[in-house]
Amino acid sequence: MRRSDKYRFYVILAALVVLQFSVRGRLGGDRVAPDFLLLALLIYTIRARPGPSAGVGFLVGLLRDALTPASFGAGALAHTLVGYLSSWSKAVFFAENLFVNGCLFFAGTWCRNLAVALASGKIKGGLLGWELLVWSPIQSLTTAVAGVLVLWLFGRHLAIRLSDA
Amino acid sequence: MALGADRYASRGDTLVFLGCVLLSVAAMSLPERIRDPLARDLRQTVLAPFLALQQQTELLSASLERYDAVVAQRDSAALAATFLPELRGENARLRSLLGLGTRLSSGYVPAEVLHEPEPTSALTFAVSAGKKQGVKPLSAVVSPDGLVGIVSSVDAKTSVVVSWAHPEFRASAMAADGSVYGIVAPHGTEGPRIWLLELQGVAYRQLVPTGTMILTSGLGGVLPRGIPIGTVVGLAGEAEGWERTYLIRPAVHPAAVTHVMILTGPPVRGDLRSLFQSSGETP
Repeated sequence: MRRSDKYRFYVILAALVVLQFSVRGRLGGDRVAPDFLLLALLIYTIRARPGPSAGVGFLVGLLRDALTPASFGAGALAHTLVGYLSSWSKAVFFAENLFVNGCLFFAGTWCRNLAVALASGKIKGGLLGWELLVWSPIQSLTTAVAGVLVLWLFGRHLAIRLSDA
Repeated sequence: MALGADRYASRGDTLVFLGCVLLSVAAMSLPERIRDPLARDLRQTVLAPFLALQQQTELLSASLERYDAVVAQRDSAALAATFLPELRGENARLRSLLGLGTRLSSGYVPAEVLHEPEPTSALTFAVSAGKKQGVKPLSAVVSPDGLVGIVSSVDAKTSVVVSWAHPEFRASAMAADGSVYGIVAPHGTEGPRIWLLELQGVAYRQLVPTGTMILTSGLGGVLPRGIPIGTVVGLAGEAEGWERTYLIRPAVHPAAVTHVMILTGPPVRGDLRSLFQSSGETP
């Protein structure tokens, strides 16, 4: 593996983080726009081992919790779970395929929203149903589309096995 | 190397995962006095550049929206400005009409001219008042500047007005000082002459100076006395040495009228001259 490829991988992840704080606000409502930060985490977990994925997920979730202190810790827990399970399941079950990766992004986003909703305990009853059956699937879909687009455009640079680095 | 085989969760991975879960649970159970300062510190350190980026993006977005709004307002203002002279003119006409209505005090019906996009619309036109408003055939139709025409037919809510430019229009007229009487009729039936009037039947020995105001005489009982018709601009012709015909520039052009007043009853005063003479003084 070339050293430049490793840098490109991190540049793409950083670009996703920048997109999260720049253009995401212009891509529709907060509940339907793609979650670029989670997408960066999921792309990272595709190539990383479950342990580091859980750690990065925890950090990402903790930073997000700092922006929503009312449910502090819920995001950290949710992202930890999603990061670990994504990395583990990708290694065990999933093949290298664009559609499969898209499904992983969709499921990861939906599970993250489910975990945050349950762990925070702020959303209950009908609102929880709406969140999980309407808004979360839409956001999961937009995130999955964005993820597939990123993999399609930069897949060559993302095909880096971090475990070898 | 095949993907996956070396990426199953090892004991170390599991420990890291469990540690993160425990930390998350601990974070969730933090009291507010610890949780809030921790969140604030994260926002002011690690997240600060990202939040600044987000703030700048929002500012840029708001600026773009404001720019669009300003451009839209400017375009609207420019569009409105194109209609300004017309609106000012209409405003002045309506003010004059209101002033005339006040002076008439009763016996009139205000109406809007329903212009049609046809070349002959100035000869006869419809107005938005009819039998329901008390309009009767042969009622005088006036504007603040003078006579426009007479009502020829009346419907329930509209009426048809024959303007002075119509070939069949006739009105008994007189000079402003009452020294000369005659019949006013359109000067021609085609071409530019259609927009001029002529005073017919003036005795040969009677001279009417250019600039003399011609008013309705009230003879015949159709049109009230004293409504301005126009101003003499010259001699149009002589007939056999015993009659003169004078050319008159009309006081009102039918195509320029948007609102009129239809005189429906006996006016307060017998001679309406003074009402129209003061119409120009109305603000």
